[in-house]
Amino acid sequence: MKQESKHRPQEQHQLSHSASQQSAMREFASTEELLRHDAAQTDVPPAIAERLTQSIAKLPQKPQSWWQRWLKR
Amino acid sequence: MDSCVNEPTPTETAPAAPNPLRSLPDGTEFAALYEEHSKAVYYLALRFLCDPQKAEDVTHDVFLKVYRKLGEFRGESSIRTWLYRITINHCQNLKQSWASRNLVTTADDTVWNTTAAPAESPLRVLETKELGERIQKALDELTEEYRLLLLLVADEELSYEEVAALTEQTADAVRGKLHRARKAFAVQFAKTA
Repeated sequence: MKQESKHRPQEQHQLSHSASQQSAMREFASTEELLRHDAAQTDVPPAIAERLTQSIAKLPQKPQSWWQRWLKR
Repeated sequence: MDSCVNEPTPTETAPAAPNPLRSLPDGTEFAALYEEHSKAVYYLALRFLCDPQKAEDVTHDVFLKVYRKLGEFRGESSIRTWLYRITINHCQNLKQSWASRNLVTTADDTVWNTTAAPAESPLRVLETKELGERIQKALDELTEEYRLLLLLVADEELSYEEVAALTEQTADAVRGKLHRARKAFAVQFAKTA
């Protein structure tokens, strides 16, 4: 998908991040890498899929075409 | 503002529940689409708005719209780009409507009680929590444009050209602004230490 690398190290700020807790030091080479790590740690609440399922179930049915109604006769 | 980070719940070690969207009569394809892209949509909304409840609402609304409009998708862009476009529009509309009000985040501990996370060691949980808070604080100090650019560019599925199209500018402009956005983020992130 990517047509060119967006992550040229020479262009990027070298971010050295401590992820707190003395023994939990973690370094990220770029802002993007840090954000990707953060995204990976972020989970989608399962309640969304439940709610979405209910919302979809409430949507009005699409009207059937005449031939679909005719076939059901 | 500092609670825009997922925290694990006591149920985190339970096996993942089946996606309820698969129970819909024609839901298999849509469920697969949701499984593939919901994380990206939710994360963008969460970090852009810094409000977990609103991020949930946005994710729900985006996918409901997608469900209704999927037949109109012409494939001129990738599905991910299309989803991001809807998400960005939705978030920006929300922000505009909040701007005239007294904006107070609704985030509180109860919000996170509905959030599942994969099994983590206690140390990992602490690390994730603090890191997420620091990232959110740093992002909040950036302009909306820089914040959006960084979040989009961090998605490896998007090219510069796609980010440019989503933010309505040229790819060269994206590259130039991105350089400044990274610098600004690094400065703000250092302040959160």
